[in-house]
Amino acid sequence: MTTLYLILILALGGAALAVAAFAWTVRSGQLDDLDTPPRRILNDELRVNRPVDDAATPP
Amino acid sequence: MATLAASPPAPAAPPAATAAPATGGCAHCGAPATSSVDGLAFCCTGCAVVYRAIRTAGLDAYYQVRDQALPARVTDRAYDELDDDAFRRLHVRDRADGARAVTLYLEDLRCAGCVWLVESTPSIVPGVVDVRVDVGRGRCDLVFRPDAVPLSTIARHLDSLGHPVHPYRGADRDGARRKDDRAMLLRMGVAGAGFGNLMLLAIGLYGGWFTGMAADERALFRWASMLIAVPTIGFGAVPLFRTAIAALRARRAHVDVPLALGIAVGLVWGSVNVVLDAGEIYFDSLAMLTFLLLVSRWIVSRSHRKAAAAAELLWALTPRRARRVGADGAVTEVPIEAVAVGDRLRVRAGEAMPVDGVVVDGRSSVDAAILTGESRPLAIGVGDAVCAGTTNLGAPIDLTATAVGEATRVGALVRHVEELSTRKAAIERLVDKVAGRFVFVVLTLAVITTLAWGGTTGVEHAMSLLVVTCPCALALATPLAVTVALGRAATSGVLIKGADALERLATPGRVVLDKTGTLTKGEPSVVTWHGPADVRGWVAVAERGSAHPLARALAAKAPEVTASVADHVELRGAGLTATVAGHALAIGAPRWVGHAVDLAPIADALAAIVGRAETPIAIAVDGVAVAAAGITDPLRPGAAAAIARLRALGWTPEILSGDDPAVVAAVAAELGGLPHRGGVSPEAKLAHVEAARAGGPVVMIGDGVNDAAALAAATAGIAVAGAAEVAVEAADVYVRTPDLDAIVHTLAGAQATMATIRRNLRVSLFYNSIGGALAIAGLIHPLLAAVMMPLSSLSVLGSSLRSRAFRTTP
Repeated sequence: MTTLYLILILALGGAALAVAAFAWTVRSGQLDDLDTPPRRILNDELRVNRPVDDAATPP
Repeated sequence: MATLAASPPAPAAPPAATAAPATGGCAHCGAPATSSVDGLAFCCTGCAVVYRAIRTAGLDAYYQVRDQALPARVTDRAYDELDDDAFRRLHVRDRADGARAVTLYLEDLRCAGCVWLVESTPSIVPGVVDVRVDVGRGRCDLVFRPDAVPLSTIARHLDSLGHPVHPYRGADRDGARRKDDRAMLLRMGVAGAGFGNLMLLAIGLYGGWFTGMAADERALFRWASMLIAVPTIGFGAVPLFRTAIAALRARRAHVDVPLALGIAVGLVWGSVNVVLDAGEIYFDSLAMLTFLLLVSRWIVSRSHRKAAAAAELLWALTPRRARRVGADGAVTEVPIEAVAVGDRLRVRAGEAMPVDGVVVDGRSSVDAAILTGESRPLAIGVGDAVCAGTTNLGAPIDLTATAVGEATRVGALVRHVEELSTRKAAIERLVDKVAGRFVFVVLTLAVITTLAWGGTTGVEHAMSLLVVTCPCALALATPLAVTVALGRAATSGVLIKGADALERLATPGRVVLDKTGTLTKGEPSVVTWHGPADVRGWVAVAERGSAHPLARALAAKAPEVTASVADHVELRGAGLTATVAGHALAIGAPRWVGHAVDLAPIADALAAIVGRAETPIAIAVDGVAVAAAGITDPLRPGAAAAIARLRALGWTPEILSGDDPAVVAAVAAELGGLPHRGGVSPEAKLAHVEAARAGGPVVMIGDGVNDAAALAAATAGIAVAGAAEVAVEAADVYVRTPDLDAIVHTLAGAQATMATIRRNLRVSLFYNSIGGALAIAGLIHPLLAAVMMPLSSLSVLGSSLRSRAFRTTP
């Protein structure tokens, strides 16, 4: 029975931490834009093809 | 939102060096090419510029990741105004490290490819520190070092990549929205966490009910459930309570009233039972119900945002400040709110018009693409009207304001779309009405139950009645079906603005078709050729250099001939003369060709061509009329089949077009004798649609600016691909593919969706009747409630997902 009390408190504490973490992600704006990041992730391996030099500055 | 994100990226194009897509089409977007630059084919100047810019910057990988290939638009503006002090004060923020930050609005941000193009700017333009874009809002947050690069250079770079730049005006609104969105997400998360943990405890309790459980353990689990349920459900359901109270105050029926009642009673009664250590608790069911409701409302609010966003971006393009010219000629910069009708304003080149007005001084050209979809600049002079939001391209002009703020055309459009997206569909009002009666019936039954059973048992049964009849499925029925339908429609290229549009498309009536674009291919081609085949080849060679649509028709689909062309002379509105392979050719309108040569040899052929309502072309070689061609805009393949399907769905199609009556009659005859009217003015279109509405639902299909009023006046308007922005905003539905199949698909989908909604309502009321009856009889157990309540919601969810609506692509 005592174990049950302990486990219950631990479990609820864990859940409370998860909720707090979620609240933090929402408040810090990480979930504001749900459209762009899933597209951006496709671009991680792309590289600009050519070394940059000053002459490449567009007009 | 799933609707846009769900479209999978196109299969990777070949490696960068050979990335030019679709041989024969435009090297940038794959559309039919009309010109060639450096051996590559392009459909327009925009694509050519963007293609070169992407290559020069080494961004070839764009062609691998983009998932939409559309013609590009560039403006060729200098963007000097971005380096202006006035612009800096308004939009640019200085940062502690000496860099500056600015938020811009970029046109045409659509896919992963665009994100990559724009966000790779720091490695291409030295001095740019960081770029982040938000695809949904078209927003771009840029950090740059002002000592290394002026903002105008960065803007020109982005423009050359096909993303014309504007100052971002929606920041205030974004801020307010962000607060709402975050609050909603947080409530959803907390309710979800509460739901999950309550379920774990509930499994223990139900297990104990079957196998036996020590009384103190049972009490522990019940207390723990209460400690989780009261704060999480209470916090999550705050918006429900708020609308319910507001509805009660206003004495309106609203679906949130029975929901709030069920949740409140469940929480209070459950807590009382925990404290008294007697009776039942319903926390697990309530938590699930709250969580499901919040999720469905969040999804619905996201899809509403999407619909309104396009119109708001239009609004965002109109300037916030204007230059007012005083009576003494002095120019002062004033906020747009201070401008009144009749004020004289100066608009510099490159700036957007702040108001609707009439030009009083100066000559210039405007880019009115945001309103009309017409990308060619329009010349304007004294006396011409200009609209807010269109861009002054050429030289400074002075104008007198005729409409400001919300009274401008752009303002009216935005207001119109906002009204459309918040207006409740009749079916949703029906749900509210049902909910109103529902509350009344359930409360009456609860009182009767209490009295009939008497004492604590009566109260216990009445309370369980209130909890188990909480109409979650009723509240989910419409939004789920509509959201599933709108999402599926969007992935198949049909954008529908809200539930009420779907509903208005679902009752069959008359379909008014605009001939051009929907029934025909939209590009003229040679359908009749009378004369020697080698002349056909010569004609094609002679016409190749011309950009006229009829010339393009003559240049296409001809036998390949290699011949030299000389003395190419084109006469506008008449035809051209050229020397091909040593022969003098005259190609053009019979009237013009007939001036110089005798048309008698081809007179019969020409008469037959005119008789079929084709555009006749006469061809003379070395002063002798030898050939005749008939050019027309042919019917799309499948147009006749689509008309038959429309009829099978119960619709009555008819044609109402601004085109030549003879041409319209020919098309109508080819489609099996549709009712038709040609040569109709925009006003007559509007009058026709309004008159037809008296006889039942009218769905108008159109694409032009001239159709906008009729589209708005119809029961439901459908704008097709390539439509002008005004038409798109005025319509309830925008179909991305311009053929009739997509329209049939839309109408069939709308009918199927309404059927699903009705089925959902029946299912939810069925579950509630059974639950209510069991509760009154005192036969309900929390376990049964816990099974039945999610089951009813899941049936509604399943029924929505199983719906045939918009299942197949058109």
